Amino acid sequence: MECRVLSIQSHVVRGYVGNKSASFPLQVLGFEVDSINSVQFSNHTGYSHWKGQVLTADELHVLYEGIKLNNVHQYDYVLTGYTRDTSFLEMVVDIVQELKRANPSLVYVCDPVLGDHGSMYVPQNLYPVYKNKVVPVADIITPNQFEAELLTGKTITSQKDAVEVMDLLHAMGPDTVVITSSDLPPRLGDRFLVSLGSQRHVHPDGSRTTERVRMEVPKVDAVFVGTGDLFAAMLLAWTHHYPNDLKTACEKTFSVMHHVIKRTISYAHELAGPGRRPSPPQLELRMVQSKADIEDPAIVTEAMLIS
Amino acid sequence: MECRVLSIQSHVVRGYVGNKSATFPLQVLGFEVDSINSVQFSNHTGYGHWKGQVLTAEELNVLYEGIKLNNVNHYDYILTGYSRDTSFLETVVDIIKELKRTNPKLVYVCDPVMGDQGAMYVPENLLPVYRDKVVPLADILTPNQFEAEILTGRKIHSVEDAIEVMDLLHKMGPETVVLTSTDLPSTRGDQFLVTLGSQKSVKPDGTNTVQKICLDIPKVDAVFVGTGDLFAAMLLAWTHHHPNDLKSACEKTASVMHHVIKRTIKYANELAGPGKKPNAAQLELRMVQSKADIENPAVVLEARVIQKKNQ
Repeated sequence: MECRVLSIQSHVVRGYVGNKSASFPLQVLGFEVDSINSVQFSNHTGYSHWKGQVLTADELHVLYEGIKLNNVHQYDYVLTGYTRDTSFLEMVVDIVQELKRANPSLVYVCDPVLGDHGSMYVPQNLYPVYKNKVVPVADIITPNQFEAELLTGKTITSQKDAVEVMDLLHAMGPDTVVITSSDLPPRLGDRFLVSLGSQRHVHPDGSRTTERVRMEVPKVDAVFVGTGDLFAAMLLAWTHHYPNDLKTACEKTFSVMHHVIKRTISYAHELAGPGRRPSPPQLELRMVQSKADIEDPAIVTEAMLIS
Repeated sequence: MECRVLSIQSHVVRGYVGNKSATFPLQVLGFEVDSINSVQFSNHTGYGHWKGQVLTAEELNVLYEGIKLNNVNHYDYILTGYSRDTSFLETVVDIIKELKRTNPKLVYVCDPVMGDQGAMYVPENLLPVYRDKVVPLADILTPNQFEAEILTGRKIHSVEDAIEVMDLLHKMGPETVVLTSTDLPSTRGDQFLVTLGSQKSVKPDGTNTVQKICLDIPKVDAVFVGTGDLFAAMLLAWTHHHPNDLKSACEKTASVMHHVIKRTIKYANELAGPGKKPNAAQLELRMVQSKADIENPAVVLEARVIQKKNQ
């Protein structure tokens, strides 16, 4: 498999978020990963302390120029996640557009990180950039419910609403949309959360269909950081292997997440000791230890086709 | 295995040098790798063009402070390689000293990158810093012949010279020294280069012993970049698994190198086409494709024990 990904995300010295979360799993699955580190921090910002440096939009451009001058700016995928800076994001858009001209089959996987649980946790002025510039060039997006609602201006209170919101997102650009988490009521009970996905296909005869899936995923009583980054990377990998089968791509992706999270929470509790809540360092994803699950995830969650 | 490495090396967007060369193989072998990127460049400097940014000594210190403030400055290994800046290198030394105070068992694996084939390719003022400050802290050192010579002030014209130089290096600090390449004549002919290693250890009965080994490595007709970084990382891994057996550690390390290089040169030649020399981009190590060899290297090179004596 010769498949090259350009991933533009954070780097942390310690732990697994951003490029640290995405690179190893993709490499383990045989993808070549070129990575531009948008920041270098000691660790993620959920720890008590964090220190480091950010890359400016200009510096990003300089790095891209280096790649371009060597005529190696050919990518099959671009992957982006958490950003806090509008000029940086706009530079990313310019780069994606140029890379798409260099390779029209390029697939841009975008996690439109804006916020969660009803509030934004990035500067507000990123919202119009995502809505008007980023999402229109994306091919696969992985918003949570809040981000999906924000981008479309429509609230989700039922599965029907969710399907409409995903259709609105398709109309904005991406052929594949996965709402990674929602607060729709799960049928399996309140220890689960509902995720949904939608993929538009054009068939050889020119006809169009939309495949829609619903998954119920076990909730875990802990705050993980970097799981969204791992999700987007693994969705990239599994949609690559199952380009017209969102059901299978999602089952594999959600199953990997499950194995990594389960291993992580188990270890975190061992480290913290009985009756104690694990700390952010203790909750870092057990990425390296999950290599076998990443390579060949046992399917533990089944997706349902919905209309 | 719970083993945490702090690796302070370059990052390239594309390709495999520095941290890009060291991290994936160590992670695949189950090591937790914390990485501080000393630079971020588009690609290594052997391409037609390269662009990017460097980390200052101050910025390095700030990153370390972040780790320290969270009380997670506990490492089993430190790994460093190519550096061009004396103040950066001196900050690295301070960090290592502090980490050794936190964990006295910490093993510092140091590739003292200064030059090759008789010439320095870093600023000259790095030599005294390596010689006087860095090497004394190192536990495992991977100089090539030129670097070993300038660190000790002695030239190597024979295996006996090499043995003396390795003993001098032991006296400066590191208990494990591997001369990664030399131009000593190989008993297997001129298609081979000679690698030597020396390890001091303490036996269960308390006496000291030194094991010296020698390997003949097939030469490859190409210039690779990042192979030294991969070598140091894999020597870290295999000395971890074979702590008192330099012979096995070197056989595994050299074998991994062989498999990766063989796969790389084959692919590079395919990309370049018949009769054409592959370029820098085409010669990037086939790292991801070599995962199985990294995890479990078939041993294809045998080391000879050349001297074992009790001291």
